[in-house]
Formats: sequence, C-alpha cells, structure tokens
Amino acid sequence: MSKQTVTNKALPNLDLNDLRRAIQAEYQLVAENPDHGFHFHTGRPLARILGYNEGWLEGIPEPSIESFAGTGNPFSLGELKAGDRVIDVGCGAGLDSLIAGKMVGPRGRVVGVDMTPAMLAKARRSGQEARLDNVEFRHGFGEALPALDGWADVVISNGVLSLLPDKSVALAEMARVLKPGGRLQIADILVHKPVPDSAKSNIELWTG
Amino acid sequence: MAGFVDFEITWRADVFSGASQESSAANFGTMGINFWARKALDQTEWYETLAALNCQIPSQSASTESRSE
Repeated sequence: MSKQTVTNKALPNLDLNDLRRAIQAEYQLVAENPDHGFHFHTGRPLARILGYNEGWLEGIPEPSIESFAGTGNPFSLGELKAGDRVIDVGCGAGLDSLIAGKMVGPRGRVVGVDMTPAMLAKARRSGQEARLDNVEFRHGFGEALPALDGWADVVISNGVLSLLPDKSVALAEMARVLKPGGRLQIADILVHKPVPDSAKSNIELWTG
Repeated sequence: MAGFVDFEITWRADVFSGASQESSAANFGTMGINFWARKALDQTEWYETLAALNCQIPSQSASTESRSE
C-alpha cells in the first residue's frame, strides 16, 4: 500500500493507510475473538441495547450476531420494503446486511461492503448458511463504494461513518449510489464536546 | 450533483457505558445516534433546499440596534 496522507485540513498528519490498518486490526479481533472485550458492546446483548427486534435475528447465523458492533439501529428509521436494493456501508460480519436481505425478500438485493477480510469471510459464510442468495458481500471502502451510480433505494450503515476521516467524500459516495429520492438510514456516533486537533490525529482514539 | 434533504436525527443514547474496556467516548460526550436523510429528487429540489437554509448570524450593528430599541 502506498502512503496516502488525508487531505482533509481538519486532520493534519493523519495517514489514511495507517488509520485503515489500525481499524482493520481492531475489527479483525472483533471477527475472530468477539468475546475479547472491547470499549464498545458487541453481539446479541448490543442488539438488545439498540432495540433490534428478536424476530429480525431469527435465522441469522450466530457468528454474524456475535461480531455485531454497531452504534445504533438503521432499521428503526423504517423497515425496508420488499424488492428494495440496499447497500450496507461497512457491513462487518454481515448482521445488518442479512437482516436487510430478509426484509427485502427474493426480489430485492443487498450488497454489504467492508474493508476487513476477516469480517467479509464471516459475513459470506453466514449468507451461505442462511441461504440468503439475494445478499452479496464485496470488498471495498466507504470512500469508493463498489456499486453503480443510482443503483440503491436505501443506503444503511452502522457505526462506520465516524471511522472515515473525510465524511464529505463518504457522503458523496452514498449519494452517488442512491437513486433520486433514495433513503439514507444511518446509525453512528455524535460527540457533544469539542475534539482537539491532537485527538483527531491520534489513531488510538479513532479505534478506542 | 443533488445532495441530501430532510435530514433528521431520530434517536440518541449512551451506547458505550458498561463495556468491558475503558473507552475515551465519555471524554467527548459521545452518544450513539440514528439519522435519516433522503437524496433530493433532482437539482431543483436540491437548490430549493439550499436556498431555504438560513444560517445567517445577525450583524453587530443589527443586534446593537435591537438592544437600543
């Protein structure tokens, strides 16, 4: 990987590849050892905290549930309709993508995108086990989604936008892949106190 | 390119407290949120939305006049 310095003026001295490597390492651990203990909740207990309907989890393989690490509930903003085409940005082990696959049914399509190979491998195994043929998992980044312009009815994401240093690029990508009138249903984090530049450039704070 | 309209934060909650490892989240008042938006139907809707935004800060002279009334 070549060195790529983030050009966002709000983030001086932060290298995008260094940040991505740190995030991948953290989420590889969530994929491979979900009981390790993190600064965030994980798994079925987290899904309960975030108000996930028990029915949504029925039929979803446990490996995708145990590595769930979201910060909110994109489906609380409106359940997806049968036949919808959905992109899940930063799908992780695939829980939200698989729930979406159940909601949109066989006429719908879901594309989960993630940059961490261990998460993608887990998501793909779960998709096969659940026989959700309408769900596909692709390697990619939030700043360059592997999808055509105007393909999606809905873009969902859960705890990922905050990990992308240039939010404007990520949101422009989400807009690109959405149809006119398409919906953005996002769960993430909001900080209520000013974050100093020194903290914005501290990769340890991005992941913990 | 058309941007997003109808942005709305619909929920916020402390989703980090009680996690097994110490978090820096509390130092910054970090909360989990859900938000919703819709891609504008076309450039017309997008430009109308931009035009309707009103983020002007009253000028110093205007606020002085207001106080003197």
